[in-house]
Amino acid sequence: MKILDIIKDANVNLLRNKLRSFLTILAIFIGSFSIISTSAIQAGVNNFIDSQVDSYGGEGYLAIVAKDSFDALEGLQGAMGGNSGPMEYDPDKIQTGMSPITDEQIEKLKKVDGIDGDSIIEQKSLNITYVTSKETDKKYLFAAEALPPGNVKVDTVTGRGLDLKADEYQIVLEEKYVDALGYTNEEIVDKKIQLVVLDEYTHQEKIFDAKVVGVIAPGVVSMGQSYTNNKLADDIYEENTKYYPEEVKKNTYAVAANYDYEKYSVEEIKEKLKDIGLSAMSIEDIIGTIKSFFDVILTVFKIFGLIALLAAAIGIINTLFMSVQERTREIGLDKALGMSSAKVFLSFSIEAISLGFWGSVFGITVSMILGNIVNAAFHSEGGFLEAFPTFNLATYTISDMISVTILIMVIAFLSGTLPARRAAHKNPIDALRYE
Amino acid sequence: MSKRPLLSTRNLRKVYGKRDTRFEALKGIDLDIYEGESVAIIGKSGSGKSTLMHLLALLDKPTEGSIKLNGKNTSKLRAGKLNEIRNKEFGFVFQSFFMNSNDSVLNNVILPLKINGVGFRERRRRALEALRIVELDDKAKNKANDLSGGQKQRVCIARAIVNNPKVIFADEPTGNLDSATGERIEKLLFGLNKKKGITLIIVTHDQDLADKCDRQIHIADGKIFGENTREDVDLEDFDGDGDNDGMRDHNTTKHIDVEED
Ligand SMILES: Nc1ncnc2c1ncn2[C@@H]1O[C@H](COP(=O)(O)OP(=O)(O)OP(=O)(O)O)[C@@H](O)[C@H]1O
Ligand SMILES: [Mg+2]
Repeated sequence: MKILDIIKDANVNLLRNKLRSFLTILAIFIGSFSIISTSAIQAGVNNFIDSQVDSYGGEGYLAIVAKDSFDALEGLQGAMGGNSGPMEYDPDKIQTGMSPITDEQIEKLKKVDGIDGDSIIEQKSLNITYVTSKETDKKYLFAAEALPPGNVKVDTVTGRGLDLKADEYQIVLEEKYVDALGYTNEEIVDKKIQLVVLDEYTHQEKIFDAKVVGVIAPGVVSMGQSYTNNKLADDIYEENTKYYPEEVKKNTYAVAANYDYEKYSVEEIKEKLKDIGLSAMSIEDIIGTIKSFFDVILTVFKIFGLIALLAAAIGIINTLFMSVQERTREIGLDKALGMSSAKVFLSFSIEAISLGFWGSVFGITVSMILGNIVNAAFHSEGGFLEAFPTFNLATYTISDMISVTILIMVIAFLSGTLPARRAAHKNPIDALRYE
Repeated sequence: MSKRPLLSTRNLRKVYGKRDTRFEALKGIDLDIYEGESVAIIGKSGSGKSTLMHLLALLDKPTEGSIKLNGKNTSKLRAGKLNEIRNKEFGFVFQSFFMNSNDSVLNNVILPLKINGVGFRERRRRALEALRIVELDDKAKNKANDLSGGQKQRVCIARAIVNNPKVIFADEPTGNLDSATGERIEKLLFGLNKKKGITLIIVTHDQDLADKCDRQIHIADGKIFGENTREDVDLEDFDGDGDNDGMRDHNTTKHIDVEED
């Protein structure tokens, strides 16, 4: 018997008892639906986080502070009730507050194998009083920082990226300011906006005319910040710190650098930095907590999906046993007329696999339809993802769809083996006598 | 007759059940069947006729004894070879019609060819041809269940001949039919025997039908207790080829190849 005939007959047989097949498929559908939906959400969240990672600093990015500062932060966390209990105060060991990174440490850092010496930049927090433009009378609070080094992929909605080394003031503006400043996304590119810094003593305003070279979508990691090129950042910092004594001005508390992530693991680099008294965090460390939170929830849902599939597997076994029983005479006739046991086994297995296939296709289809509706609803006005146009909560990847379908077909096949074996072992003579 | 028999059994025994339900349905059957002949296995209900036919047709295995097909012991054949022989060389008409009643007449007739892997067009063509022989080609699309008893039996005959077999096994082919319909079925079967040289093995309890066969094997209580041959066999030219050589015209009958390939 040809395999195509077997597949066709298996589906015809499923249609012979439509209600029973439908109910079995429905059970598989529930499992398929929950697994593909959680996979889609996981993919969506991961995509989002990854794009945020990229917008912040990408792979290879390290945020570096003095080890003492890091310990102080951990100690503070402990004091605020981390699960390890409060830490004891020890003046020799723990300092509260930030410790500066010494010039000596920076020099050593430059020489660490795997760290790109040229990429090291001081992370300066810029204090901008407000932002405004020629198109509006309103003034808005504003946060910006110099774009971190490395493989930065700023998730620009319009416009181009920053020219870090440019001699003019450039900025990539967070999207929510565009409308407020009286422009559309397209209009604002190449227009100048005014960043204003107030002199703390004279109360005079110092205005920086910054050219908008792009608009970025808001993100979790950037936290609503805009990014400047180096010149703008340096000049604003200079203005912010003009009354500081030279020693303080010179202090560096945090630097950013790039490491060679293709050659070294982040753990190796962290070890090396520890030796010179520095602590580093990769972007994964920073957002790892968000990710693991989602992972836990989604894993729970996935387990529910698997339990549903297990129940569905029992449904398949039951359905096929009934089918074998009903078709005893038919199987006997097939075997009497020369069909091999292997082909009988195959035909029932294919029936099981078909149930799995249709159940999973059904589940994926419904999930995709609902997923798209939910995505659209969240992005519509007032939806809770309105501010994140690039984030789709449910993201369906071909590989997820294929692997879920294959997983379910394998489960269906395994459940089908029991009834299929019984069918294959039927004796044609007994079947002939069966009423 | 010095010719090698097509089917040959020695000391064939079949025991059903165990201990309390143990029942010896066949108690040592020695039987030779030659190519091209028509043989009736006749006996009362429960005498073991169907059991014997199932063993001869390689549908079941004997408890003891041997069945040789063309001189080759069938117990040595692989399951795949047995399936192939039943599929390609044998045709079956079972005691109760035994067809897929929800399926169409055509699909029922097609079944052996489908199992054999014959392509869609070819198997359809051959099934329609078989239906034409039993004069049911106009019912090809009907649901098998909707036919009358006589028509169902003709569908079964069409199914039995669709693979162009060398042997047809027919278990009570006229069992539940009125005499006119029964005669029509008989004509069909003997016609195939004579025109195509198909060996015919008919199981029946009907003496009239048995008398129309070349040979009658009487069985009772699982044993052969008598055999008679029709005297006029050698005088007639049944196969109609004019050479008056009796009905076993070995040039036109088919050989079954049981060599493993
Ligand atoms: N699977 C089985 N288990 C137990 N006994 C069986 C089985 N099959 C057949 N028998 C017994 O073997 C005997 C012969 O059965 P068989 O079907 O060969 O009879 P038969 O000659 O064909 O009868 P009928 O003319 O009624 O069809 C019967 O007594 C029957 O009860
Ligand atoms: Mg019988």
